[in-house]
Amino acid sequence: MLLFPPVLWAQEGCTLSIEGHIVSESNGPLPNAEVLLQGTERGTTTDKDGNFRITGLCHGEFVLEVRFVGYETQWIRAVAGDTHVAIQLHPESKNLQEVVVREKHVQIDKSTTYAILEGASLDKTAGKSLGESLKALPGVNTVQAGPGIFKPVIHGVHSQRVLILNHGIRQEGQQWGAEHAPEIDPFIASNIMVIKDAGAIKYGTDALGGVIVVNPAPLPEKAGLGGTLNTVMQSNGRSGTISGMLEGGLKKLDGWGWRMQGTAKRAGDYHAPDYSLTNTGVSEFDFSTAAGYHGEKFGADIFYSYFQTELGILRGSAISNLDDLVTAMESEPPIGTTSFSYDINPPRQEVKHNLLKINSHWSRPGGEWRFQYGYQSNFRKEFDIRRADLSSLPALDLELRTHTLEAEYEMTNSKGQQFCFGINGMYQDNRNVPGTQRIPFIPNYTSIAGGPFAVGKFTLSQWTLDIGTRYDVRSYEVVGFDFKNTRYTSSLLFHNVSASAGISRPLDKHQTIKLNLSSAWRPPHVAELYSLGTHQSAAAIEYGLLLNDSTNEVMDISEVPFQLEQALKAVATYEYSSERFQAEATVYANTIFNFIYLQPRGVTTTLRGTYPYFRYTQTDALFVGLDAEADYTLNPHFTLNGKLSLLSATDIRNDDYLVFIPSNRLELGLRYQAAKHQFYVEPRVNFVARQHRAPRVITVREFQEAIDNGGDPLGGSTKNFDFMEAPPGYVLAGIAAGYSWPLGEGRLDLRVAAENLFNSSYREYTNRLRYYADDIGRNFSVSLKYMF
Amino acid sequence: MKPCSFFSKSVSRTTAIVLALALLAGCSKDDPQKEDTPELITKATLTFTPVGGGTPVVISATDPDGEGVQDIVVDGPINLATSTQYALTIDLLNTLVTVGQPGYSITEEVEEEGQEHMFFFGWTGAVFQTPSGDGNIDNRADEVNYVDVDAGGLPIGLITTWTSAGSAGSGTFRVVLKHQPGTKTASSGSTVGETDLDLTFTINIQ
Repeated sequence: MLLFPPVLWAQEGCTLSIEGHIVSESNGPLPNAEVLLQGTERGTTTDKDGNFRITGLCHGEFVLEVRFVGYETQWIRAVAGDTHVAIQLHPESKNLQEVVVREKHVQIDKSTTYAILEGASLDKTAGKSLGESLKALPGVNTVQAGPGIFKPVIHGVHSQRVLILNHGIRQEGQQWGAEHAPEIDPFIASNIMVIKDAGAIKYGTDALGGVIVVNPAPLPEKAGLGGTLNTVMQSNGRSGTISGMLEGGLKKLDGWGWRMQGTAKRAGDYHAPDYSLTNTGVSEFDFSTAAGYHGEKFGADIFYSYFQTELGILRGSAISNLDDLVTAMESEPPIGTTSFSYDINPPRQEVKHNLLKINSHWSRPGGEWRFQYGYQSNFRKEFDIRRADLSSLPALDLELRTHTLEAEYEMTNSKGQQFCFGINGMYQDNRNVPGTQRIPFIPNYTSIAGGPFAVGKFTLSQWTLDIGTRYDVRSYEVVGFDFKNTRYTSSLLFHNVSASAGISRPLDKHQTIKLNLSSAWRPPHVAELYSLGTHQSAAAIEYGLLLNDSTNEVMDISEVPFQLEQALKAVATYEYSSERFQAEATVYANTIFNFIYLQPRGVTTTLRGTYPYFRYTQTDALFVGLDAEADYTLNPHFTLNGKLSLLSATDIRNDDYLVFIPSNRLELGLRYQAAKHQFYVEPRVNFVARQHRAPRVITVREFQEAIDNGGDPLGGSTKNFDFMEAPPGYVLAGIAAGYSWPLGEGRLDLRVAAENLFNSSYREYTNRLRYYADDIGRNFSVSLKYMF
Repeated sequence: MKPCSFFSKSVSRTTAIVLALALLAGCSKDDPQKEDTPELITKATLTFTPVGGGTPVVISATDPDGEGVQDIVVDGPINLATSTQYALTIDLLNTLVTVGQPGYSITEEVEEEGQEHMFFFGWTGAVFQTPSGDGNIDNRADEVNYVDVDAGGLPIGLITTWTSAGSAGSGTFRVVLKHQPGTKTASSGSTVGETDLDLTFTINIQ
């Protein structure tokens, strides 16, 4: 980026202004585009007609930086006083410029490798959950627990190793569980970004795989009313989703803006090509509201959101012991399959999440202060199939309350170097709500965490350098009940340092390279240390790392050879962009030392029968992969698109493979765009390879035979195993078409799509219900979006 | 330097606020309560009482640690006299619950929720005259002499009758308790529902 000397403003007698009009390539106005005065902290956004005005300027020439998500950032020179500037923005190529959201809480460095869903690519995922939506990005996959529960996976890792930032706040839910989906309504986002480096230093620990950033649109700052109405209907699951948003500014009160938004979704049983997937319905209701003021020097926002979902889990996956597992695996259709219904019965999950956020920024000459407070409460109830009276009681009933507080100061010096210093703090309380009539799976705890950070950006001729470091502390006070239902307590304290360095440079006008090296760590989660119990769909018992191997008693952390989990990740990206061809390729290697995972340890018998048991253990894991995406414009009407994700994940300490690692996949698409930009057709094909890098297979029957013959089914080895072979690879075809009309003051978009067009039966390796049922069959969807 | 003063001031302020929040949240926090665990069965006792009188044969299986790693301890073998009719009663306990407290006796719960529960039996070695065959674990229609029935007239299996073989022999004796909420019918077999109990004993006829 070019650098310009800072300009002074708003001094005595500085009364000039710059006005302008910003349009898209098709000459339509671009509302909410950001216009910044280079070298200052000043800026504004365009109104709904694409107009902007920056006042209080002194004489002189200024450089305006114009940004709009999905478009290339432009810089233009303008003279204060007599200028009306007209700027046309062009859709961004793969060669993305720096993207900064209005609040600047989520800032992307130039050397950062990331992928983004916004505009049309986000619209395509309307009606899907956050996790499922992100599958559209190369390098991002999901672990699933049926058709409704998707957990995002970045470069092979998920749950505690992926950080989610929702409106700038670290999402705190029961994210330790692989079947616990993020508690976020994707309709609240104007873009969703996935940062693939481990070094998103400003947001704290845990970003070993990467960061998912859910960004809202900036609040309006001018009077007027705008809004969006989305409706999505899908044939599979017979689902309906409706989401509406209304926003506006206040008359005569420039800078004030507000927004209200809500979503409701209802789906019944999904169906595989040959049978109904009984009890896989979804019921969701969300709303959010925001208000704020953004002036020239000061701005503040308040945001509140509520998310509520009820999710059914496939009836045929509810099992007790190994015998039940054999029956469930060998039954097709799954046990308990009935005809379509909207009913959601046990096993099911009920989740509620509240988020309240208050943030402000205050510009001073040469720098800006920012403060942010967030409060989240997360309520999770899981209902298993239990003896009559107990089925109405949750088997798991957790409340998690989290306060976060952040302060930072960012400054740019006269050489254009940028520094940011800050501190984050968190207080968290996890509580088991009494009355489950089960020994809690994880204990109660309170946690205090936080630390300072510093990041800097430097430019050396063509090179841009981003470096950052932070120090974090996390404490836990734990109170729980062990296997004998005896109370135990413990106190834990962890601390460590993270650091990140990235460089980028353009090689010529078509090519850019980026390299990022980062070291991140995470404190262990209480679930990994103390969990105890069975999962109803797994027929396996899990023990935490701090439970004694032979006695099951809770031990002090000093009694086990525990070491902090730490990742060293290197990511290199090459970008090529010309008028007709854009490509981006990212290679990465992530070594996670002391990687905590569930290791199969043996078999235990209870009066209910036999169970394999797993214990949280540490090893070293290596994730190496490649993500690539390319677009080739054949002519003004046809564009070819391809996305490729390759990944190999190994346990390098034990020379073994890890379980539930996404297999290699390729997506190819062709897009036909009519001349007037109003009609398009998009066929696409997804090729998903079989996961050949999977652990050994010990079938349940082999397990039982070994037990019956008095042998050890694991053969004395603690190598990973799976009860079933990885399913074969599969190919899915889909097609979508869309059309847009101007309607009144706004625009109406229609999109019709068919997924799994040929109704193929297949199973996805990373879907935990692959043991019991096929994945979903053909799905038609119709979505309508009205914007004004 | 500016950032430094910012740090020191901000750290102390942030710490103070975090601590204040901790105290606030601390007030509403209550110590975790001990849960009853009515679903856990830690002891199953099989009592074979000779119908014509005599000393009952009592065998049990005990789980020392619930969901812990330790295996269950199974007494045995079941030693029955030849050509004798026995009434078998099954008693299930959760010994992690205090004696007399609700949830201690699982037998009562199974009885009360008889329409959702059923015992299945299987054996090897032709150890019984009646019922004949090898039990109803592999095939629901096979013969087992249930005494107790649920409210819908379907068998439960807390009480069953057995007549031992006329000659000495030995084999295995397996008891499976299934939880079949909404799925228990006259033909629902041992593969329907979730397993609450699955035990195998050695049996001798002597």
